[in-house]
Amino acid sequence: MKRASALLLLMLIVAAALIVLLGRWDYKTQDRDAVQVPSSAQHWAGTDELGRDRAVRVAGALLIGLAGATAAAALTTLIAAGFGLLAAFSPRAIAAILMFVSDVFLTLPWLFLLMMARSLLPLTASPPETAILTFLVLAVLGWPACARAVFHGARNLRAAEWMIYGQACGLRRQQLISLHLVPHLRPLLLPQFLICVPAFIVAEANLGALGLGVGEPLPSWGAMLLELDNSALLLQSHWVYLPIALLVVVLLILESFTSEVNTNA
Amino acid sequence: MRRAFFKNIFGRVAVLVQGLKPAHFYLRLAARLKSCPVTKHVIEPRCKSLRYAVLVAGLAVFLPVAAFCQAAGRQPGELAWAIHYDPKTFDPAKVDDQTSEFVRYLTGGVLLRINRQTQELDPQLAESYRISPQGTSITFKLRNGLLFSDGSSLTSADVAWSLRRLLDPQTKAPVAEEFLVPGGVTIETPDKLTVTIHLPKRVIGVERIFYEIAIEPANRPSEGRVTAGPFTVDEYKRGQYLRLKRNPHYWRRDGANVQLPYASGVRLDILNNREQEMALFLRGEYDLIDGPSPDYFGLLAQKSPQSARDLGASLNTEQLWFNQASQAALPDYEKAWFQNRGFRVAVSQAIHRADLARIAYDGHATPAYGFISPANKMWHNDSLKVPQESVAEANRLLASSGFHRSGNQLWDSAGHPVKFSIVTNAGNLARQKMAALIQQDLAALGMQVTLVSLDFPALIERLMHKQDYEACLLGLSNAEADPSTMMNLWLSSSPNHQWNPSQKTPATEWEAEIDKEMQLQASTPLYKDRKRALDRVQQIVADQQPFIYLLYPNALQAISLQLRGVQPAILSPGPFWNIDALLREGGGR
Repeated sequence: MKRASALLLLMLIVAAALIVLLGRWDYKTQDRDAVQVPSSAQHWAGTDELGRDRAVRVAGALLIGLAGATAAAALTTLIAAGFGLLAAFSPRAIAAILMFVSDVFLTLPWLFLLMMARSLLPLTASPPETAILTFLVLAVLGWPACARAVFHGARNLRAAEWMIYGQACGLRRQQLISLHLVPHLRPLLLPQFLICVPAFIVAEANLGALGLGVGEPLPSWGAMLLELDNSALLLQSHWVYLPIALLVVVLLILESFTSEVNTNA
Repeated sequence: MRRAFFKNIFGRVAVLVQGLKPAHFYLRLAARLKSCPVTKHVIEPRCKSLRYAVLVAGLAVFLPVAAFCQAAGRQPGELAWAIHYDPKTFDPAKVDDQTSEFVRYLTGGVLLRINRQTQELDPQLAESYRISPQGTSITFKLRNGLLFSDGSSLTSADVAWSLRRLLDPQTKAPVAEEFLVPGGVTIETPDKLTVTIHLPKRVIGVERIFYEIAIEPANRPSEGRVTAGPFTVDEYKRGQYLRLKRNPHYWRRDGANVQLPYASGVRLDILNNREQEMALFLRGEYDLIDGPSPDYFGLLAQKSPQSARDLGASLNTEQLWFNQASQAALPDYEKAWFQNRGFRVAVSQAIHRADLARIAYDGHATPAYGFISPANKMWHNDSLKVPQESVAEANRLLASSGFHRSGNQLWDSAGHPVKFSIVTNAGNLARQKMAALIQQDLAALGMQVTLVSLDFPALIERLMHKQDYEACLLGLSNAEADPSTMMNLWLSSSPNHQWNPSQKTPATEWEAEIDKEMQLQASTPLYKDRKRALDRVQQIVADQQPFIYLLYPNALQAISLQLRGVQPAILSPGPFWNIDALLREGGGR
């Protein structure tokens, strides 16, 4: 199951890359004589409201969304692991302060924070910069929930017999963490990472739908899902459902990875 | 098993439909770590509260829908349509928003009314009026036997009281400013049917102010409950609907001596959802839509072609402008671009307005080159000379203005790449499409444009207070044809002079000339002189392009086939300006 999902995801990525690299159109060219056209030889998935090739834009959104969300998920997992381990190996008072900071982050309304942080960006930020900053903001705000789990896990492991044995054998703290603790925390960190990837894809889509995600004309799920807000357009072409259909497929594939980990764990 | 199933469904629905990351995240994490003793105490309480959160979110979504479905039904002979937000006030003297203005229009009795089709003044409560030769006094003769909706008499004393209240600074009536020196206005009532208003200074078109002044019973302001207009306020449920009922003592009768209004009442649903509004119109729940968006208008034209009315260019404009304010928080070289006439004209020449109209407005807009719409036949300059759309010509103009191309990038003479952002308001799809089209048009000149959509308060903050923007794409609504209402836009001293507001002295010679001509047209009684002054202003604006006019959105209306007596007009309130003569077929009295 896991292999089939991975293979399917790989095929989607390769197909998207081929469409973007070898396609006749680029993601921003407006074919103004073919606005909102259905499938044709020129545009096999039709065009959007500005005459841009839908296939290329959906493929671009898939690559940008996956790459950005994967990088952001890796970063947020890293931050969570670092923060949790730091707290677990600190004196009790400092650990309490660090966890309090984490809890404060956890209680903040993340969507408004994202909107605020995103709207504070300079107006002249180029579309690639907005994409990087959007995913960076997601990564920076997404770590606290996992940090607390890592903290408790690491603290319990810290008192484990094999840790005491390791210490007695003269292993340094860094060696204990890297050689023993992190491998033991892997079952906690891996699902955290895998859960964050689809969550960040959806979060970016939300921000994009609010006009605060990846900047135009760069393709993003959010901008394309905005099309679905217009029921008048929905009646004109079924191809407008392509982005949401593909997004569902990608999310289900990513979900299957977490289920697989769950079963194995 | 069932619990797990529903939890899974909730999680997936949260991701796929709402994108509620926290809901999905915690559900998945809870499921993953539930068996892990080290984390159980962290996750479990959160998961429990999450179920409540999901329940509350579900109720938050469904309750308003349920409430709307329970909105009051249509009563016999009642007209119904939607307004997009609650009226800010029912006090006719304090109206300063469109919805409140609609309510005042439907309820308030006025001395004169602008006929939205002929653009002439029609007598209402006043059967006649006369302006003194010096233009400093206006005398109204009231109709005999006028009554308020509660049956009490309406006399000159009520008119004088309503005017004095309006002119009182404590009332803070926005319309008072139109008298120029409201504190100096005096009112006489020689008899019960005559009112004379003395002005300290001539006001051009003073008679047109009175269509905005509702007459109320003296010393009994009622916020629309007692009126001399066609309807009175009957029932108001905030966020749901406003119900108006017929004024049984309304003064007007039709040719067959039947008392107007024909309709027994009006129900205005408060609904800010264009899709739902259109669905309710198509189901026959609503009688009209004033200004449907082009997309939904296209849908309506397919489903019910006779209901869809495109009246052609409206008086409204869509325009782009650059921030030329000297105090703007921009680098000096950018200010130099924006203050350069060649730069602005080249931008204007590169924008394909026909594409904007066709793609962004689905063909329901007219390319614009000046601030007076051709629909405003009285004031439009028919011999206006405007920059021709031509990318080649724009490139030549940029080259002669000190810019040069290197590859796909335009550079200024000091070596700065020409990059700027265009801000616009979020939520207006047509405008966002226009911005994306302009972005590509300007790329043909080598300009790198980024697009930024901001919510309206944030946008206004940047435009009006901080002047922290480079270029802006917005629209302007013109409720009236007379150019005097645009003084606050064109005078360089005005805070609404968007491209360079609140100037102590005009920054440029051409702005000084605009000031002079606008003052002239506002103080000259003769139409010919006013028109000449306004023609000159139109030509200066076309030459200098401080506002790059792009489109006149068409006046679009959806009108039920069951509605009789409709005389659609482009001036607001277009489809229902003759509300007292509207009748729903099958909904007779």
